[in-house]
Amino acid sequence: MVSPVLELAEITKTFGMTAALSSMSIRLWPGEVHAIVGENGAGKSTMIKIMTGLYPPTSGTIKIDGKPVTLTGPQAARDLGVTAIYQEPMVFPDLDVSENIFISSTREGWIQNRADLRRKAQTLIEGIGITLDVDRIASGLTLAEQQAVEIARALSQDVRVLIMDEPTASLSAHEAEQLRKIAVTLARQGVSVVYISHRLEEIFEIADRVTVVRDGRHISTRPIDEVTSEGMIAEMVGREIDSYFARVPSHAQPETVLEVSNLARKDVFEGVSFNLQKGEILCMAGLVGARRTDIALALFGIAPPTSGHITYKGKKVSFQSPRQAIDAGIAYLSEDRRKFGLAMPMDITANITLATLAEFLSPTGLLDHEKERATAEVFREKLNIRTSDIGLPVEMLSGGNQQKVMLAKWLNLKPDLLIFDEPTRGIDIGAKAEVHALIRAFAAAGGAAIVVSSDLPEVLAMGDRILVMREGRQMGIVDGNDATQENIMSMATGQSDMKEAS
Amino acid sequence: MKNAGAPGKILKRLKSWEGFLALVLGIIFLANVILSPQYLSLLNQINLFQLSIEKIIVALVMTFIIINAEIDLSVGSMMGLGACVFGWLVQGGMGGGWAILVVLLVGLAGGALNGFFITRIGLPSLVVTLATLIGFRGLARVLVEDRGITDFPDWFDALGQNGLIGPVPFALIAFAVLFVLLFIVLQKSGFGRKTYVIGTNRDVADYAGIDTARHKMKLFLASGLISAFAGLLYAARVGAVRGDVALGFELDIITIVLLGGVSIYGGAGSLIGTLLAILIVLNLRNGMALINITGHIQTGVIGLLLIGSVLLPKLNLSTLFRKNKGQPPEQKEESA
Repeated sequence: MVSPVLELAEITKTFGMTAALSSMSIRLWPGEVHAIVGENGAGKSTMIKIMTGLYPPTSGTIKIDGKPVTLTGPQAARDLGVTAIYQEPMVFPDLDVSENIFISSTREGWIQNRADLRRKAQTLIEGIGITLDVDRIASGLTLAEQQAVEIARALSQDVRVLIMDEPTASLSAHEAEQLRKIAVTLARQGVSVVYISHRLEEIFEIADRVTVVRDGRHISTRPIDEVTSEGMIAEMVGREIDSYFARVPSHAQPETVLEVSNLARKDVFEGVSFNLQKGEILCMAGLVGARRTDIALALFGIAPPTSGHITYKGKKVSFQSPRQAIDAGIAYLSEDRRKFGLAMPMDITANITLATLAEFLSPTGLLDHEKERATAEVFREKLNIRTSDIGLPVEMLSGGNQQKVMLAKWLNLKPDLLIFDEPTRGIDIGAKAEVHALIRAFAAAGGAAIVVSSDLPEVLAMGDRILVMREGRQMGIVDGNDATQENIMSMATGQSDMKEAS
Repeated sequence: MKNAGAPGKILKRLKSWEGFLALVLGIIFLANVILSPQYLSLLNQINLFQLSIEKIIVALVMTFIIINAEIDLSVGSMMGLGACVFGWLVQGGMGGGWAILVVLLVGLAGGALNGFFITRIGLPSLVVTLATLIGFRGLARVLVEDRGITDFPDWFDALGQNGLIGPVPFALIAFAVLFVLLFIVLQKSGFGRKTYVIGTNRDVADYAGIDTARHKMKLFLASGLISAFAGLLYAARVGAVRGDVALGFELDIITIVLLGGVSIYGGAGSLIGTLLAILIVLNLRNGMALINITGHIQTGVIGLLLIGSVLLPKLNLSTLFRKNKGQPPEQKEESA
C-alpha cells in the first residue's frame, strides 16, 4: 500500500482562546505540486509551522510515510525530509554558493574537500535546472538565485517535502517563472512540493492539486482541472456575513478632505490616486504585500512619498514627520499596537494623553495630572474601555480595550482624518463590533476615515468605497454598495487583470 | 490591591524596589550608629556627601539618560576635561569667572558632540560615548599633562572647601537644589513623561509625534554641562587638577543609578531610587571607613551589592513582590 509522504490528520492548534487550525487534514503525495490557498489569517502559516516542527500541534497526528511522528523542531523535520523556504531566503551573505549549500551538512565530515563540495554543489544546482557559478558570493545573487541556493541546500539533505511559502512574492516576473520551473522539476523528480501563493495564475500554471483553507479549516482539495478561479475564490471567502457586519448608509459630505494623485514611494508602491470626503469611510483591501500600510505611513509623514501629490483640506502638503501630520489633524492607528501603538508598561492615562501632551502642560511645562485623569475618564466612559482603574498599565488590558485606548489617544486630537490600520485584528467579535461603531461615529461626526483591513467582511460592511491594492499597485476603487467578496478578492489576487488580458 | 487601606499602602510601598532600598539603608544606618560613635556627627555627615559629591550630582542626570534607554560613558572624562580646562585657562591668566563660563561651554559642546552622533548619525550611545570617553580624557591630558595645577583664585578654593551656609558647602547645596529641580522635571513635567515614553518604546513616541531625536539631544547636552560643572566642583574641592581627575568615575555613577532600580533597558526607574542608592553607597563606604575597612574592600562590597540588586529581581522576588504584574503576553494571531 502506498502512503502519503506527509499527512496532517485532524490537526488542531490553538493560541489561548483562538484556534488557528481546527482539525485540519491534508495528504501530500510524492511527485505532486500541491497548492494551498486561503485569505490572510486562514491558517496557512500555522500549517507550515506545524509541518516543519516550529509549533507542536495542540491535538492531532502528523504522519510521515503513514507512521505517526513527533517533530521536536525544524532540525527533526529536516532529518525526516521536510523543509520550507520562504519569501526572504536565508543565505549567509559572505559565503559562496557551495558553502551555502553545505552549510548545515554533517555528512561531509570534519575535513571538507572543497573541490568535492564544489562538484556536488554544481550537480545539485544543475539538477534544479538553472545555471549558476558555485563560486559566487551569496550577497551578489538575485533573490531568485538565493532561493535556488536554498532549494539546493534542501536537496543536499534528501528533501522529500519542500514547502514554498509565497516564494515569488518579491520576485520579478522572469525570476518568478524561473522559480516555478524549479518547483515543477523537483516534483518530476519525486519531491512533494507544497506551493503557497496569492497569485492564482501561478497555481493554475504549476499545481497538480489545490487545497483551500479558510478560518483554520480545510475546505476542499481538488485536482487542478476540476477547479475554476471563481470557484476557488468563492471557497476562500465564503463565510457567512453575520449581523455584526451589516452595512449602514454613508455619511459622506460634499466637502473633500484629502486628494491623493499618483502617489508613489520608490520600489514600494506607485500610482495611488483617490479622494476622500468629509464623513466618508474609505477601506483599503488587499493581501499581504499589497503595501497598504506603506500608503498610510506616507500620508502620516513617517515614510514620505517620493512622487505624486497630496492635497489636504485644499492645500498641497508633504509631511516629513508625524509631528507635521498630527499638527494638520491627521492621526494614524498602527496595526502593531505593541511596536508602534502603545507604551505597554505605562498606565492607561499616560497613553491616552501621549499624542496631545501639550494640552496638559502648564506654562512652566508641568503636567496637569488632574486634567489628564479627567480626560482619560471621559474616554473610558465614551469608548467603554473596560478596566477597574485608568492607572493600570495598558498591557493588562485585553486586545480590544487596548485598541480603544489607542483610539482615545488619537480622538483627543480631534483629528479631521483618521487612518485605521487593521483596527480589529486579533480582537474578539464583540469588541470588533464596538470598534466598528466607534469608527462610524467618528465619520458621522464629520471625520474622514481610511480603514486598512484584511478582513473582507469588515471591508464590505464599513467601506463607503473600497480601494483595492495588489503588490504596490492600485487595482481600482469599488463603491461599497457594488462590492462583493468575490470581486474584491479577484482584484486583490490579480484575476481581474487576467480576464482583461484574455 | 486598589482598596487596600493606609496600612496596605505602606506595605505596598515597602514591597517596591524603593521600599527594599529604604530597608537596606535603614540597616546600614543602624549598623553605623551602633558601630561608630562619630558617625552621627554633623561634620561626618557633611563629609560623607562631600567625598563623592561630584559623582552623585552626575548620577542625577545619568538617571534621565538611562531611563531614556541610552548611556553616557563619557561623563568621567568630561569631568576631568572640565577641571583641566579650568586649570589650564587660569594658569594662562584668565579670570576665574570667565574660565568657569568657558568650561560650561566646553561641557555643552561635548554633549552636543555625543548628541550629534547619537541622534543625527544614529550610532549607539554606548559606542559614541566610549569614543568620547577616550577623546575627552586625551584632551584633558594634553592640556595639563602630568603636572598638577594648583594656583586657583582664593575664592574658588574657598567655595570648594569651606561651608557656604554654616558648615554646609556650596556643592552640597547645589546637589540638593539640582535634586529637587530634576525630581520635579522627571516626575511632574511633560519633559519627564517624554523621557519615560521614549525609554519605554521609541517607536511609539515617534508615532505620537514626539521629536525623540531632539529630546535625546537635550539630555546629552545636560549630561555634558552637568559633568563639566561637576569637574569644576572637583577642582575647587581638591584645590588641584591633573590629567587623571575623575578617572573611572563613570562606572561608580552608573553603578549607583542601576542600584537605584533604573532599568538598563530604559523606561523604568526614579530619582527617589537613585537618591536611596546614593545614600546606601555613601553610608556604606563611610561606615566601613569609620571602622577602618580599606577602600578596596569597600569597593568589593559595593560590587557585591550591585550584583545582588540585579540578581534579586531575577530570583522571582519581583513577581512575589508585585503580584499582578505581567500577564502572559497575548499570542498574536498568525496571518498566512
